[in-house]
Amino acid sequence: MAIETKLRESSEVETEQLATGCEAIAEAIRLADVDVMAAYPIRPYDGVMQAAAKLIANGKMDVEYIVADGEHSQFEIVKHACAVGSRVFVGSSGVGWFYAFEAIAVTAGLRLPVVAICGNRALDDPGAFGCEHNDALAVRDLGWLLCWAETAQESLDFALTAWKVGEDKRVSLPVAIGLDGAFLTHSQQIVKIPTQAAVNSFLPKFDLGDRLLHPDNPITIAPQVDQDWLMEIRMQNDQAMRNALGVITEAHSEFKRLFGRGGDNPFLDEFMTDDAEIVFLGQGTLSLPMKVAIRRLRKQGHKVGLVRLKWFRPFPTADIVKSLSRFKAVGVIDRDYSFGSPYYGGVLYNEIRSALYSVEKRPVVVGFIAALGGREIEQPMATEMFEKTMAAASGSLTSGDACHWIGVRK
Amino acid sequence: MADERSISIEVVYRGIFQKTLAQRICRSVVLAARKSGHTGTAFARYGDSPERNGVPAKQFAVVAADEIELEASMAKYEPAVVDISIAVDDTLAKGVESWAWYGRQPLWKPVRENGWLLVTSDKAPEAVLAQTDAAERPYTLGIIPGGASFAGLWVYKDDHTDYRVLGAIAKIAPQWMSLETAKSTALELAKGDKGAAASVQYGYDATVLRPVKKGEGTTGHEHLQFEKPGWTKMRPGIVVDARKPGERNPQYKKYTARTMRPVVNFDTCIKCTMCWLDCPDECFEVTPEGHYEVVYEACIGCGICAQVCPVKDCIVMVDELKFTDNTDKWQLWKQDRPKYNAWFEAMSGVSADPKKAVAPNAATSAGNANPAANPTTSAGGDD
Amino acid sequence: MAVEPKASDTPLDLPQIKAVKDVPYDELFVSGHRTCQGCESALVMRHMVKASGPRTIVLGSTGCMYVANTTYYTTPWVVPWMHTQLGASGSAALGTAAGLKVLMRKGKLKDEKINVIAFCGDGGGADMGLGAISATLTHKDYNSLVLLYDNESYANTDIQLSSQTPYGAVTTFSPTGTEKRLMHTRWKKNMPGMMAAGHPESRYIAAGCAAYAVDLMNKIRRALELGGPTFVHTLDPCPKGWDYHPQYSQELGHLAVETGIWPLYEVVDGVCNLTGPTRQIAEGRKKRKPVYEYLRRQGRFAHFADEDVEHFQAQVDKMWTEWLIPGVIPFTVPQKDTALLRIDKKAQPLHETAKTA
Repeated sequence: MAIETKLRESSEVETEQLATGCEAIAEAIRLADVDVMAAYPIRPYDGVMQAAAKLIANGKMDVEYIVADGEHSQFEIVKHACAVGSRVFVGSSGVGWFYAFEAIAVTAGLRLPVVAICGNRALDDPGAFGCEHNDALAVRDLGWLLCWAETAQESLDFALTAWKVGEDKRVSLPVAIGLDGAFLTHSQQIVKIPTQAAVNSFLPKFDLGDRLLHPDNPITIAPQVDQDWLMEIRMQNDQAMRNALGVITEAHSEFKRLFGRGGDNPFLDEFMTDDAEIVFLGQGTLSLPMKVAIRRLRKQGHKVGLVRLKWFRPFPTADIVKSLSRFKAVGVIDRDYSFGSPYYGGVLYNEIRSALYSVEKRPVVVGFIAALGGREIEQPMATEMFEKTMAAASGSLTSGDACHWIGVRK
Repeated sequence: MADERSISIEVVYRGIFQKTLAQRICRSVVLAARKSGHTGTAFARYGDSPERNGVPAKQFAVVAADEIELEASMAKYEPAVVDISIAVDDTLAKGVESWAWYGRQPLWKPVRENGWLLVTSDKAPEAVLAQTDAAERPYTLGIIPGGASFAGLWVYKDDHTDYRVLGAIAKIAPQWMSLETAKSTALELAKGDKGAAASVQYGYDATVLRPVKKGEGTTGHEHLQFEKPGWTKMRPGIVVDARKPGERNPQYKKYTARTMRPVVNFDTCIKCTMCWLDCPDECFEVTPEGHYEVVYEACIGCGICAQVCPVKDCIVMVDELKFTDNTDKWQLWKQDRPKYNAWFEAMSGVSADPKKAVAPNAATSAGNANPAANPTTSAGGDD
Repeated sequence: MAVEPKASDTPLDLPQIKAVKDVPYDELFVSGHRTCQGCESALVMRHMVKASGPRTIVLGSTGCMYVANTTYYTTPWVVPWMHTQLGASGSAALGTAAGLKVLMRKGKLKDEKINVIAFCGDGGGADMGLGAISATLTHKDYNSLVLLYDNESYANTDIQLSSQTPYGAVTTFSPTGTEKRLMHTRWKKNMPGMMAAGHPESRYIAAGCAAYAVDLMNKIRRALELGGPTFVHTLDPCPKGWDYHPQYSQELGHLAVETGIWPLYEVVDGVCNLTGPTRQIAEGRKKRKPVYEYLRRQGRFAHFADEDVEHFQAQVDKMWTEWLIPGVIPFTVPQKDTALLRIDKKAQPLHETAKTA
């Protein structure tokens, strides 16, 4: 589908909208002047494709909007559009994300800065719509940058940052943005929509340079390799991922300067941690009910806080170590599972433990598998997690109770 | 053996055509050694896979006194050093270029000092040695009598090359495979056909051994070796520079895939362009006169040009070992036609004179001169 | 090298090639690719870019023409080339074409004609990638050609059975054995016919063979000239998987067409034209050769018994005598309905007869 329209006149002033996370991302697509996007229906991510379609239909943006025949095609289409120099956007959820997985893997191998959202959704079977993080987490070893948004505002902000960081020549890697299904994809919040001028000064034009696939720049991309070459190619990706830490930090401070948002640390968002003895750590929207619980616990006199991890890849090891070594105990809340993993913990739990392993003064780490399948975090669950973390902090933790399933019926 | 605890054997062969043959040789080496109480492993070089028709490939058999010795040879793509290398096509003497960046490697490259290079050939050892790269260390060249066996893929046409090779191995490494175990293994492989055991005996008796001193062999082959850059030098994004117009791939030339090469009679050429048009390896180039000459560095000897050429004996396929270089021949024709035509006749065994329809000279045109006489499979010929 | 290569003599507007002498001299796919001796698919690659010229982007899906041709850290391609996944040729064509289109529209790239060709093998195209190719053929706003080179097996991975492997042929997934002579008894999927029948807005679908080089190059040019999403399917004799001497690749291509097994045709804006010897056969000017002449030349059919050859012949005969369009549309209509279904255009349709009555 091609609707040839002029871009909307740049808005002079920042406006506000009541928008879902998906709609906020659609605004980011408009502001970033995305060239090609590919859609395929699956809940809950596809709200962004519906919102973008409406923007195109109303002449608000000029994007090549391709309705694909499946997620594999979706991701392949934008990968190839990206290789000829297009800024691209794509997304999926749950098993749809997995259907695209071959294309997802090669996009990172090719170092093409595709930006995708993953509207987090439990994997089949059984069919389920609710939020779990295993879909997006599956890219964690492949060379995708991966971040998790908490609010609709942060969804928009992360999207703009994603193109800036991913397209940076020092990185040149795809970026996935996790949006908790339902809680973020489908809940409307007040979102500040930045001006086009501010976005233009934040986000440079996409330039693949001498990697552009074009008759004026004849190159061959991705010939077959053997064991003589692949380690060197993997090493290049490793280096790009290392570079991403610094590039994200740069982008964060520039974003903060231009838009006045983004918090103190590009990777972590801390809440009531200044004098905290124990903290919870998690990703995405579970921070919201946890903040409610923390305020309540504070009123009861407990020194408890929250650390929300914003970027999972690259994993901000130094920042994590610096932050968490201040506390006696950390309760890691995983909205995911990793069956059969060490201590039967979640993915995040084992990453945090691994990051802290070589730290001399390290906190006790307790793992919680919670809120799977989109189950809400209710206050009694927060209380239970608090009590278990407190018990661990006072030294009564044994390896047998390192990880707990929270709110599950027996 | 330098190391009496194990022996490594490689079979160098033409991809696909001789895949089954190489497999049979390597498996029978291990099975024969087993009969003598040894253990072993047989494997194909993974880098050759997927194999391509004609492109040199390797398979290996490693036999050891016990499992612990064998472990040193396991989980490898190929042994760095072998005791015996067996080439089942004598045109492999010109070297082995198996894939891009591999370079052209001398046939004896992995053979240890004082090891063996066995070649199946109907030529004398001196003729094969004359086409083999000058030795960097001494070895023994063994000629197993018989032409190259293109035994086929789906339909294996057993011409007993495998049994003759077993006989030759029994001759040089009896401590690993005695003549008797070689024979009994062959009998099993041939399902009791006594001819197989006779072929083992023939290989044992008729293989000619010729010690090769350091420096013996030819220095006339192209040096083709490449350095591998590291990750800081490689272009990011798995990007490779495209070829420039008019260029050929300098890092993979492929001519060692050839067992025969076309020679062209420019005097009978009618400039129809069919050879150029139908060549799957882009090896023909037009001359100012409108003829098409073969660029031998690019030709892999498939024979399509000879097959599609409408003029009888204008393009003739000739045994690769008759040639010592890859120089293009059109310049010679241009400068000295009689000399060129004499060369054409000597090589092809047919008359260069379009008026003379001379029958090919049986003495000079071995079976190879006519590609149809050397079908690689039972079903390949126009039977 | 005898002479310096001429400056590009490939015209950008891609006129039809009248004779072999008019075939562009420039090689855009050069020697030094690790294909088999006598590889017809390599020849298809060569003809494909000869026909399309230098202003072309080629996307190659996994298969022989990827793994054999492009070995890191070199390439035989003069034109820009990029790998795509086994089932992604359709999406690669679509994504590339869409990217170029929007970038040119927005002024981010110079507005010019750039040919986009994505190729796939029979495994990548007729099996795994069928859905994506089908989708691409409906996206009429994007100019791209999907070229399916069909060597009738997964020849790269070790010659395994595909939906394009002919009836009875031996592959590593369909060996012949002591109990079962034929492991594979499915008839070859009618890929170009299906593409033509199923995608009414694709302006060009064709079946070709590199043994008829000019015919093939003209089909590629016509596909690129007409624009929109187009599809060309070539039958490529494969000395490796079919087990014959490499020198006979051209001859086997000719035999496939002359026996009627592989009809050459094109569907241009919904009009089917038979081309080459296929047309002569249909016109009765050339007699179809018995399929045995083709089968006996290949090791993959060496296990055939007489009844297998007879079955094969009967199926091919049916293609020519019973199909609605010989070799193209694999069904027909009852004689009584030829008017109803407008097969007989002159006859008065039944519903109109009813009205007048």
